[in-house]
Amino acid sequence: MKTIIYLCFAVFSITATAQSQYESGMKKAFDLWGENKMADASNLFERIATVEKENWIPVYYASQVNVLKSFGEKDQVVLTAQLEKALDFLNQAKSLTEDDNPYVKVLEAQYYTAWIAFDGMTYGMKYAGKVGTLYNEALALAPENPIVVLGKAEWDAGSARYFGKPMEPFCKDVQKALDLSENFEPEGAFYPRFIKERAVEFIETNCNK
Amino acid sequence: MTFTTQSLLKYTILVTVCLLFITLAQAQTTISGIVTEKNGTPILGANIYLDGTYDGATSTIDGVYSFTTDEVGQQTLVVSFISFETFRITQDVSLYNNYMVVLKEDVNSLDTVVISAGSFEASDNSKVSVLKPLDVVTTASALGDFVGALQTLPGTTTVAEDGRLFVRGGDANETQIFIDGLRVFSPYTPTTANTPTRGRYSPFLFDGITFSTGGYSAEYGQALSSVLLLNTIDEPDQEKTEIALMTVGGGLGNTQKWDKSSVSVNASYINLAPYVALLPDRNEWDKPFESISGETVYRHKIGDGQLKAYAAFDTTNFKLNIEDINAPEGIDFGLKNNNFYSNLSYQAPLGNKWRLLTGGSYTYSNNKTDFDTTAIDSDETSIHVKAKLRKSFNSKFKLSVGAEQFFTDYGEQFDTSFANGKIGYDNNITALFTEADYVFSRKFAAKVGLRGSYSQLFNEVTVAPRVSLAYKTGKNSQLSLAYGDFYQQPQSEFLKYTQNLEAARAQHFIANYQYTANDRIFRAELFRKEYNNLVTFTGDMASFDSEYGTEGNGYAQGLDVFFRDNETFKFMDYWVSYSYLDSEREYRNYPTTATPNFANTHNLSVVAKYWIEDWKSQVGFSFQHGSGRSYTDPNLDGFLNQQTKAYNNLSVNWAYLLSEQMILYASVNNVTNFKNVNGYQYADTPNPMGNFDRRTLRPAADQFFFVGFFWTISEDGTDNQLDKL
Repeated sequence: MKTIIYLCFAVFSITATAQSQYESGMKKAFDLWGENKMADASNLFERIATVEKENWIPVYYASQVNVLKSFGEKDQVVLTAQLEKALDFLNQAKSLTEDDNPYVKVLEAQYYTAWIAFDGMTYGMKYAGKVGTLYNEALALAPENPIVVLGKAEWDAGSARYFGKPMEPFCKDVQKALDLSENFEPEGAFYPRFIKERAVEFIETNCNK
Repeated sequence: MTFTTQSLLKYTILVTVCLLFITLAQAQTTISGIVTEKNGTPILGANIYLDGTYDGATSTIDGVYSFTTDEVGQQTLVVSFISFETFRITQDVSLYNNYMVVLKEDVNSLDTVVISAGSFEASDNSKVSVLKPLDVVTTASALGDFVGALQTLPGTTTVAEDGRLFVRGGDANETQIFIDGLRVFSPYTPTTANTPTRGRYSPFLFDGITFSTGGYSAEYGQALSSVLLLNTIDEPDQEKTEIALMTVGGGLGNTQKWDKSSVSVNASYINLAPYVALLPDRNEWDKPFESISGETVYRHKIGDGQLKAYAAFDTTNFKLNIEDINAPEGIDFGLKNNNFYSNLSYQAPLGNKWRLLTGGSYTYSNNKTDFDTTAIDSDETSIHVKAKLRKSFNSKFKLSVGAEQFFTDYGEQFDTSFANGKIGYDNNITALFTEADYVFSRKFAAKVGLRGSYSQLFNEVTVAPRVSLAYKTGKNSQLSLAYGDFYQQPQSEFLKYTQNLEAARAQHFIANYQYTANDRIFRAELFRKEYNNLVTFTGDMASFDSEYGTEGNGYAQGLDVFFRDNETFKFMDYWVSYSYLDSEREYRNYPTTATPNFANTHNLSVVAKYWIEDWKSQVGFSFQHGSGRSYTDPNLDGFLNQQTKAYNNLSVNWAYLLSEQMILYASVNNVTNFKNVNGYQYADTPNPMGNFDRRTLRPAADQFFFVGFFWTISEDGTDNQLDKL
């Protein structure tokens, strides 16, 4: 009887350790990211991903760090290598979520946006349609998700601003994202978070009427 | 509760095991060392970890790493870093203390040498891309034709009245065009003698164009000088409808997408009648040029495989009176052409790093020509079937083998005032090819291929070896060398009269230097090409009573230079191409060795595009210069003894984005109105003074004006047809 209890305890504690290891690992990775140690953060997400084989979250962030790092990168060799790595993780995230995860759609849109930001002449025409489609798909999956609403509004506003069209509809969308965020709870631990500052900044620069 | 001896023993064992476990668990091992490149340079930012655990670290600027682990026994250490091959080793964890790791460079990374001799790519992802897909449609002189855009690259010669690709002293038939690896047998629309032709296929269906001016892969045969490879888009990005309204006609396109498949349909109608009525050209039209064309592409994903079906149909007709020095009344000329092309291709991984690429194409072309009192009705049916297997043994070594079959059935019914009859032939060619790619290091790569071909018509076997090497001479520069043998059967122009011929042969020798740094690229290429077994015949033109042979020969040699810069000036992208060509041959009915009229010495192209942010416009110009072309003046001694004046053309274009989905486009070809001369036609008989009179061959129109409006209707409203212009 006691042996069984001991055994149960032992099994429980191993699981508990694993759980906390994931949590502390993810926390540490976010800390590194916060300290702008992108390479370290990316490496840690990658290591977590090799253990958590069924979890899309670590690969999602491993991809996102590399995507965000690529904005502003001027060296084509470095950019291509980074985005290739990001795409590799993105594909893993896609295969783990069976194509119905709005966050992965938004990430894929960000991936293509990184190419457009690098060379609009070459990639603008090629990927703009794709980015638009991805945001539409994400919105169809999660119409009430402020992260998706904000991402789409920012993208749409970009081209509208270029053609000197009014910002009003997008201000409305961003405001909607802010409203939705009031009652928005991430679906689970380490799920993407709504960045309120970005929405507020958008409204301050574009909608001060 | 009392302890029996037995239970006490049991308990003791359990506790001991637990304690042992805890002790082991607490015995942390330090894993440390340095990560470097082969030459000892430390690597910063490498990811070092024990596989399947959370234990790991990132290397510092000195390549140093260090972390502790609770794991024991055999463990796999993984070291990964961008553009290096991932390192893995499994051994006892205690052996990883002060462990040195040397990473091998990944030969698939972007800064690896690439074989660039001979070929130009228009794509986004290639390392040797010199043109972008968009350039096809935003180059002022190209008028939306991919062939026109390629004529701004070095290696091509200016034969303004023809419009086809003439590469390095070769005639237009020496260039073959392939869609998704499958041959297109009649790629150009028919035109009159003084108007350049265009490619039949709309450029927006393709996302990769490779133009090789020599030394190409053993996969491609039946081309003496050059191949143009067009790849259709794998997956369209969204559903859309496209509307085009132009001064010369209109077009309508639609794309539908489903989960695993998509279909694009595209139709266009061109009629030059209103344009010619407004701006008459030099031709006396009875029925100005009219064409109706339709294209469709269906794509379907089957597992990891991709199936594509492509079909295009077009019908063209026109009728006019051609000026002729020997016929004061002119000569009536009418043409009706129907052309159907389709291809089906499938590619899929077969497992174990094998890949299958297979497909077939079918072309049917019918021409009804009326020339004065002669009527000719010709039919050509051609089939090309191909299968290729490719295996990546590792990142350094790739091998491909393949087989293909060409079949052509040509028939011609002619009806003249003095005779009529039917002629034709069947032509079967079987070919096998194999090619090995080996990357020795990031600095040195080689490609070796062999192609064997059997012609049933001539009962002749030809074997063509091809070799290319590339060596990286610096961070941004490389040198490539290529050699190859190329065979091609004579054209139907001769085969319809005699089949007692053999395949012509060309040997290519190429040395290429390339320098690329960010958005600048410089290429220089020296080449020599030797021709043998070219068709010769007697008489004024190839006919029944000519005597045929294949003793013709010749050479072409020269230098091609290309420079493109998208960096020096903001919002400005420009490129410059220059070709020097020295070529002579003795073939056809040439009485002696001479420079053919399509091989001029100097060709220069300058293309520039400037983006004006405030106007939301792209303005562009292109300038082309070709030195004089040879012609024969019968009033003087010799053959091809004179040269025309140089050809010049300055074209401008302007694309204005009205909104995300609407574009207004205008272009003017030859804006400064240079009076170009393509050549001269001399009278058959001398005038009473004993001189041969001549007529100047000029383009149908010196200038061409184009205005178009393009509108794309899509779900998210960000797409437009800038890539279609």
